[in-house]
Amino acid sequence: MIPDPTPYLPGLEAVVASAVGLLTAAGVYLILRQRTFPVILGLTMLSYAVNLFIFASGRLSTAAPPILREGVTTYADPLTQALVLTAIVISFGMTAVIVMMALGAWFETGDDRIDGDGGPDGDGGRTGGGGRP
Amino acid sequence: MSLALIAALPFLGALLPGLMIRAGRDACAAMAGAVTALALLGIGLHAPAVLRGEVVATRIEWLPALGLDATFRLDGLGLLFAGLILGIGLLVILYARFYLAKADPVGTFFTYLLLFQGAMTGIVLSDNVLLLLIFWELTSLASFLLIGYWRHSAEARQGARMALAVTGTGGLAMIAGMLILGSIAGSYDLSVILTRGDAIRADPLYLPALILILLGCFTKSAQFPFHFWLPRAMAAPTPVSAYLHSATMVKAGVFLMARLWPVLSGTPEWFYIVATAGLLTMVLGAVIGLFQHDLKGLLAYSTVSQLGFMTMLLGFGTPSAAMVAVFQIINHATFKAALFMAAGIVDHEAHTRDIRRLGGLRRLMPVTFALTTLGALAMAGIPPLNGYLSKELMLKEVARTDWAGSPWILPALAVLGAAFSAAYSFRLVAHVFLGPRRDDGPARPHDPGAGLWAAPAILVALALAIGVMPMTTAAWLIDAATSATTGAPYAADIYHWPGLGAAALWMSLGAVGGGLVLLGLFGPLLRGWDAMPRPDAKRIFDGLVAGLTAPARALTAALHDGALTRYLAIAVAAILGAGLWAFLTGVHGAGARAPLPTPVPVLGGWLVLVAATLAVVALHRNRIVALMLVGAIGLMVSVTFAYLSAPDLALTQVSVEVASVLLLLLALTFLPAATPAESGAGRRWRDGLIAAGAGLGAGGLIYALMARDFAFPGISAWHLANSKTEGGGNNVVNVILVDFRGYDTYGEIIVLGIAALVIYALTEAMLRPGPAADRIAAAGPRHGRAGDRHPLMLVVATRVLLPIALMVGVFFFLRGHNLPGGGFIAGLVVGIAILMQYMASGQTWTAARQRIDYHALIGWGVIVAGLSGVGSWFAGLPFLTSGFEYVTIWPLETFELATAMVFDLGVFLTVLGAVLLALASISRLQLRGGERANTAPFGVASDLEPRA
Amino acid sequence: MGNWIIAPVVLPALLAPLIVLAMRHDIVLQRTFGLAGTAGLLALSVALLQAATVNPPEVYRLGNWPAPFGIVLVLDRLSALMVALTAALALVVQLYVVGTGWDTRGRHFHALYLFQLMGLMGAFLTGDAFNLFVFFEVLLIASYGLMIHGGGAARLRAGVQYIAYNLVASTLFLFALATIYGVTGTLNMADLAQKVAVLPEGDAALARVGGVLLILVFAIKGALVPLHFWLPATYDRAPGPVAALFAIMTKVGAYAVIRVYTLIFPPDTPATGALFADLLLPAALVTLALGALGVLGAPSLGRLAAFAAVASMGTLFTAVALFTPQATAAALYYLIHSTLATALVFLVADLVADRRADLSLRRVLPPVAQGGLIAALFFGAAIALAGMPPLSGFLGKLLILEAARAQAGLVWTVVLGASVLLILGFARAGSTLFWKAHEIPPEEAQTHAPEPLSFVAPATLLAAIAVLAVMAGPVTRWLEATAAQIHEPAPYIRANDLDGATP
Repeated sequence: MIPDPTPYLPGLEAVVASAVGLLTAAGVYLILRQRTFPVILGLTMLSYAVNLFIFASGRLSTAAPPILREGVTTYADPLTQALVLTAIVISFGMTAVIVMMALGAWFETGDDRIDGDGGPDGDGGRTGGGGRP
Repeated sequence: MSLALIAALPFLGALLPGLMIRAGRDACAAMAGAVTALALLGIGLHAPAVLRGEVVATRIEWLPALGLDATFRLDGLGLLFAGLILGIGLLVILYARFYLAKADPVGTFFTYLLLFQGAMTGIVLSDNVLLLLIFWELTSLASFLLIGYWRHSAEARQGARMALAVTGTGGLAMIAGMLILGSIAGSYDLSVILTRGDAIRADPLYLPALILILLGCFTKSAQFPFHFWLPRAMAAPTPVSAYLHSATMVKAGVFLMARLWPVLSGTPEWFYIVATAGLLTMVLGAVIGLFQHDLKGLLAYSTVSQLGFMTMLLGFGTPSAAMVAVFQIINHATFKAALFMAAGIVDHEAHTRDIRRLGGLRRLMPVTFALTTLGALAMAGIPPLNGYLSKELMLKEVARTDWAGSPWILPALAVLGAAFSAAYSFRLVAHVFLGPRRDDGPARPHDPGAGLWAAPAILVALALAIGVMPMTTAAWLIDAATSATTGAPYAADIYHWPGLGAAALWMSLGAVGGGLVLLGLFGPLLRGWDAMPRPDAKRIFDGLVAGLTAPARALTAALHDGALTRYLAIAVAAILGAGLWAFLTGVHGAGARAPLPTPVPVLGGWLVLVAATLAVVALHRNRIVALMLVGAIGLMVSVTFAYLSAPDLALTQVSVEVASVLLLLLALTFLPAATPAESGAGRRWRDGLIAAGAGLGAGGLIYALMARDFAFPGISAWHLANSKTEGGGNNVVNVILVDFRGYDTYGEIIVLGIAALVIYALTEAMLRPGPAADRIAAAGPRHGRAGDRHPLMLVVATRVLLPIALMVGVFFFLRGHNLPGGGFIAGLVVGIAILMQYMASGQTWTAARQRIDYHALIGWGVIVAGLSGVGSWFAGLPFLTSGFEYVTIWPLETFELATAMVFDLGVFLTVLGAVLLALASISRLQLRGGERANTAPFGVASDLEPRA
Repeated sequence: MGNWIIAPVVLPALLAPLIVLAMRHDIVLQRTFGLAGTAGLLALSVALLQAATVNPPEVYRLGNWPAPFGIVLVLDRLSALMVALTAALALVVQLYVVGTGWDTRGRHFHALYLFQLMGLMGAFLTGDAFNLFVFFEVLLIASYGLMIHGGGAARLRAGVQYIAYNLVASTLFLFALATIYGVTGTLNMADLAQKVAVLPEGDAALARVGGVLLILVFAIKGALVPLHFWLPATYDRAPGPVAALFAIMTKVGAYAVIRVYTLIFPPDTPATGALFADLLLPAALVTLALGALGVLGAPSLGRLAAFAAVASMGTLFTAVALFTPQATAAALYYLIHSTLATALVFLVADLVADRRADLSLRRVLPPVAQGGLIAALFFGAAIALAGMPPLSGFLGKLLILEAARAQAGLVWTVVLGASVLLILGFARAGSTLFWKAHEIPPEEAQTHAPEPLSFVAPATLLAAIAVLAVMAGPVTRWLEATAAQIHEPAPYIRANDLDGATP
């Protein structure tokens, strides 16, 4: 039995879904920018979006944390929460790497454009370092 | 000797010269010769049986899944060709030994030659058409190497590539043809296919198969309009030309047409395609040949013409015509190989092959003169040489064949062709050897040693012998080959005198006479020819290839120009399109799940989120602001988790949020503070549309999911039910993480560990002397920010917070199994606490106080986690099986100790190590960037000395 | 095989941190233990291969939790094949790395290399959809490290692009998994197979979306047009041997498609039907064509090799997209070939790159040191990748053409037409690099240390390709049995013991 919903408000699902959509859209827009930093922000936004998405795919519930208590029978889906945790951690590691990579590219090339096929044709990637020590 | 072995011999032998090269060219030639002779002997041993009409066969299973087996057969046709290939191969090796210069890499040459010889032998011995295809393409590859042998010469390289392109492509077409043929016949074995002729000719796929297979044959045998590659291949060393373009490669197409003659021939399609192509090629080749000034060019076009001759005869589809074709194959091999060798001698001695610069060599080079003359007369079809006989028989066949109902076309054109053949043959002798002696040549020519002219001499002798007494010298072989070709016993009747009544006689006389006339008129004819506009096949071909290559390069270069943003736009659009299509083409029932109510405050939070998100997009060019807003959004997300009963997520999200925002802040001390406005309105609209689409897609998808119940009871009910009893924890999420799905977590911390390693290695690479290191050093303290004294309040606060944070971390760690928390959050909290020190007191101060080796933390973390999993092996249980025990230590209350906690400890260590190593790496950059350190405690003293 | 099933994951997962802990300052120790580890993997994988050959699919329950609630590994012929192929390739490439000293051009090479292998092994062995994601991330992040090994401007920029593109792919992976979980409520692949087969009609559309999003993730890994854009620059800029190892990375995508779309979404699934084949086949053919064009127009040897890799993925997916046992067997044969051949061409390219100012095919440079040997290796690689006889590329092509009779008109035209372009492209490149160079007077000839190991590795690959052709009979027989097992998933599902025993 659902507590009487305030009639003119959209359901919680709609609210969450719209948030997911908005975050996704913002993320996609940012990853289409031409500098590394906004792209990284965009990827962060996308990870928010997808984390909410996974979480919501376990369906929503309020005030039912999956921590076992006496006499409580309804709990939120713990599995999707575990999946989101894993996803968060992984995306943290990925963010850290791409941030450093962006710094590296910035220092190596002197600009932070993300487009472009740096260096002359097929030097086997040997321009600027990478040669035999 | 097994046929398989005979076919394999040249390949095995091919290794020897390459290895023997140090032993000198005699050794190489001897090796190659010995191998060839051995193979020839093997064929010879089978000859009696084959001549008795038997078919020798060997079968080795290879790829039954495909019906491709190493099956070989030797019948009359195979015997003829194998004999030619190996016999003339032997002579070519002898000739090449004396022809090649000391400078040439002889070992390589003979290796290539034997490879080619093996491929050819394979073609004529194969009983499986797929196997035949393999050898077929091998000849293309080997000839590519042989023609390009003089790699420093542009002509050689182009000739090689053209030959490979044309013949290789034809081979590919033939693959399709053979696959069709095989499927019609129900087998790829020739022995089967040859019996299915009627079925194949009746099949609707007969014509496609025929065309595809003929494409292979015509390209290989240089039939019009694919004839142009052959003359270009003359850039090869003369022994190669003598071999490839007299006896072998170009004959492969003719061979295959003969081989499949019983299956494919006898239809109008066959007649009009094959006979016509052959006729055209014969005439065109002869005409062009007459006007070539390069000796080898002339011979090349004459070869083209002669191949047309044979093709046309096979096209007629009558046994007698097939017999003539077989006869001509033998004759052409003998005199053409000899002529090429002779031409090579002239080139070798006179240092030029340009007929216009040669003349009067008959006294200087009597032997070569004699050999060339005999060969040329055979080619012109002058009795008593063998060329005369086959031409006579050919004209006889032509005279009694109608083309499109007209009895005149074939004879007329044939005579024309024969006349031009005679003409260029005469010219070869007249313009090179007759006439006044010339001294304007680059060298003073003279006959070479016997080594060089022995081979052509033998061949010419053969031509003469066959010409004089064909029935004794050749008929047996011709009969065997013809019977094998037509599939019915055939006895050739070759005569010298057709009788006055025979049309062939007069046609032949006309041809010879015409030849003399043409030669007489050569001067004016040549002027006419030079004045005449002619399509240059080479230019057309090069244009074709260039017309293919240039767009290919332009297209692929334009598509893959490194514009990541376009790549991503395309990807997102493609994903949207595919997803939408999949959705619209499927049945979708609306969900039945009742929606949850939305309290007003939630709506408020939602508005904040929306506002922040829109602000990020609007203000993303101001990086600090954008970063702050992203942080805010992250916090809103964690609030959402908290509200939607996910405390662990909320905690994790917050701590991760803090960590990554701090990381990005540190990065921003190097990166520009603003993003320039680069994309125009159009671009922004495009991206906006794609983004909107993606948003609608994701939002709509998740809404559709939330609006319905699971189609089946989800597995998480089990996790809830078993968390306490089986996993020994009340916090189901944590139990899932460290136990039910601990393996995921194991992978996850390894991801973190690797991330740290990557970052460390990357920093090392950046700090290595080079442009990057210079820029880092130059970066220095930006906006003087990092150089400032660190705000006292913040410093104090963080220093006080540190121990508290450590406490909190331990607390989270211990309670994790039952309440929100766990190793990961603990690690992050502690990590962040130390991170704070970086932010507040500066990289340097903190780094100076770091005593822990982060590599070790990570290493131990991953190892501890791993070992905690391996441990269960010793209990005979699978990886990561956990046990738990309730223990009471006074005065603490009873708590539960699970092996999963050891695993969690590994998680803690790895996370901590990873966070800190990443930070240390950035701090190293900043140190190199010349940040200055606070030396006094709390950095309150004003003495800021630059770091050394 | 019991615990042996997870050994290919655990061995590198323990060895790599050990190397980081104890030997990160001593390259000799790193090499010794790195090679030993990879050799160990090879030994393990051979044992697993034998087991998978004689036994039905075997399930390994991690933490001893029953499927579908815990995570399981599944050892069957397919996973065993991939594991063995990976280990074999890894050992050869690692020899090359040691032989050329590539591992001294940056830090932590061998640790990252082992982690990379761990990720690959985990991805091939897992029987759980989300765990597949986790190990995709493991192998990806390790690949990021390897890709930028040695640094350099061009490589770092390409690296940023590679990471960014793949992070989007990982995000898509999560969207796909969440969608599929949201419909079915499970993650175990066998369980998914059972549930998707009997899905209520109303859920079909969402299941289709989930399936398509997932196949697009794998298409990105497998570099299918239009999701292939990350590949050329990455493979061109990556260190040669790393690009060689990446030959197996694209195959992860192919493997995943074969696994998921025969097990969970087979063509006879009511909800999805032929959806995936309809998407895959055209994309595969376009990929093949584009790859061939790229080879023909390649400005440098690196690009040529990269596009050859794209083309071979196109060929491979063409066979995969047919989803018949015969085609799958052909696909697997070609998969083995393509892995070896692609790796070979990248090693050859690296040999050249080390002896030449650059890999450009536009300028003529003096002949490279040890040119004869390198040219021979290149010739072999070209024959293999252009699908010319006598190497396995030709047989693989024939097998695929034979399997594609139903769509002969289209498939045959594209495959054979692409072969023409490939032949032209390789011939052009080879004659420019190794023949035209001799136009330059020899006194400018280069010198370079022979480094025997660096030749042993590509020679081994070439030999392997030849053996694959000679042994085609037994190999295809084994692969036909494998394809049969793949297309008859009942035993696989049964092995998961879904409705069964308590832990």
